[in-house]
Amino acid sequence: MTRLPALFVARRNLSRNRLRSALAALGILVGVVAIASLGIFGNVLAVGASDALGDIGTQVIVSPNADAGYQSIDDATVTEIERATDAGTVVPLKTDGGLVTRGSNSAAATIYGIENPASVYTAADGRLPERHRQGAIVGAEVAETLEVRVGDSITVAGEDHRVLAVLEPVEAFSPVSPDDAVMLPESDVGGEGYQQVLVRTETGAEATASATAIQTTVNAREERVDVFELSSIVNEIDEFFSLLSGFLIGLGGISLFVAGVSILNVMLMSTVERRQEIGVLRAVGVPRRAVLRTMLFEAALLGIVGALGGIVVTVGLVAVLYAVTPVELGMVLDPRNGLYLLGAFAFGILISVASGLYPAWKAANERPVDALRS
Amino acid sequence: MAAIELAGVTRRYDAAGGPVVALDAVSLSVEEGAFVAVMGPSGSGKSTLLNVVGLLDAPDEGRILVGDEDVTDTDVGERTRIRKETVGFVFQDFHLIPTLSAAENVAVPTIFDADPKRDRAADLLGRVGLGDRLGHTPNELSGGQKQRVAIARSLINRPSIVLADEPTGNLDRDTGERILDTLTGVTDRGVSVVAVTHDPAVAAYADRTVELEDGAIA
Repeated sequence: MTRLPALFVARRNLSRNRLRSALAALGILVGVVAIASLGIFGNVLAVGASDALGDIGTQVIVSPNADAGYQSIDDATVTEIERATDAGTVVPLKTDGGLVTRGSNSAAATIYGIENPASVYTAADGRLPERHRQGAIVGAEVAETLEVRVGDSITVAGEDHRVLAVLEPVEAFSPVSPDDAVMLPESDVGGEGYQQVLVRTETGAEATASATAIQTTVNAREERVDVFELSSIVNEIDEFFSLLSGFLIGLGGISLFVAGVSILNVMLMSTVERRQEIGVLRAVGVPRRAVLRTMLFEAALLGIVGALGGIVVTVGLVAVLYAVTPVELGMVLDPRNGLYLLGAFAFGILISVASGLYPAWKAANERPVDALRS
Repeated sequence: MAAIELAGVTRRYDAAGGPVVALDAVSLSVEEGAFVAVMGPSGSGKSTLLNVVGLLDAPDEGRILVGDEDVTDTDVGERTRIRKETVGFVFQDFHLIPTLSAAENVAVPTIFDADPKRDRAADLLGRVGLGDRLGHTPNELSGGQKQRVAIARSLINRPSIVLADEPTGNLDRDTGERILDTLTGVTDRGVSVVAVTHDPAVAAYADRTVELEDGAIA
């Protein structure tokens, strides 16, 4: 006998019908696995998608409205866009295309004329100038193709430029992707005005606000520019993933509910079988709350064993997921996954104890006279 | 002084054909250390009397006194406590818990206490001649041994009264007589025994026999 007699008696009672107890715990195990693994899989999907979508939700791309005859954005319009943007950085871009060569290697690249590259891009090698007056900044992909390093000389549209910096590769999808681009000072890219204005904000909400402000001010009288922003789409994608997670967890919840019903069933059968025995306990002076506690311990033990097993199986499943799919370790180790594990564990035990409540109450409150007569 | 006393106790049950009077104004006083046999035909109210004396059932009318305390109107929890401290039960079919050893079964009334009386359980089993059977489970014991375990269990909390419901009902004659010897030994220590029975042998061991008929003492 231990210091927790109710626990001791509960354990003995469960071991009386091992198969039945094991099956009830198995039900909880399956339910916990369902909730935890579906929750984690949903979260891994969401984290993966959010990694891939990256910054697009915090960018607004303003381009000239060709339908209304505008081929470029002039300095005055850029100033209006700057005024309309409360938060964030405005980066006007001149865009061209052309061949970039170094020695015998050549590659077709997008050529951007940009004055302040440091405000939106990061260098993997070299240093980005605050004001871009001379030299070329090379995107990761172009640098790889041409085997270019900082200090090398490249030829862009017939003119030679020294390479100031090589940019970090940008994995996320972006409407203005720097990977296959070469950035030159504005003055070195021909043509009137700008072909794009990039507005970079900190949050999706700021991007939406900026886009709206640009629409209402710059396009007040005439549709001079097209405003393209993805924060609302990103929001919708986020919402979709929340919905998907909720749906998956709901599925898991149903299986855990079924497991709860099976525990209820096991406990009820057990109270019917042990009716006389519980009557004897009550007759010899065991208080109702001791009977109640014992039955609840039985339910909780089933729950703990099942939920622990469920956690182990889930961790195994996630390890398999990590091994056989291109999921990154960071996504698997996302802290929210831990929360799903913990939540499923707690919920499994909670369901078990809740299912044990009625049988326990019933057993504890039966009059010993009635129980003994049966 | 009386260990337990019933004064004008009436107990009615609702049945299909109208209320049935199981006990009709029964007054009974059990002296300390007395062995009282309650006899009577089936349906005479023997079991109801035992339940009322054992505080498992409450009377509709009349009073119950344990020692000099009136326990008629106590609530369930309080009655459970008094039952634990003053009453021991011995049942016809023993009602031992199959997963527990003999010693644990004897200690069962105290198993949920902070300090279960394991040593006393071993002593009591020794006293009823089962000192070498402490670790045996009920299905490893004979009927007579089980009933002696049950008697030891009834004594674990030093009750003032032991209630036995057909204590020899499931036992052969020799074994039954040994059980009655054991119960008589209990009364020698000042504990009262009330045994409800059909068995005339029990009456032969009793100090006093009460005949019940249609819920009243004949």
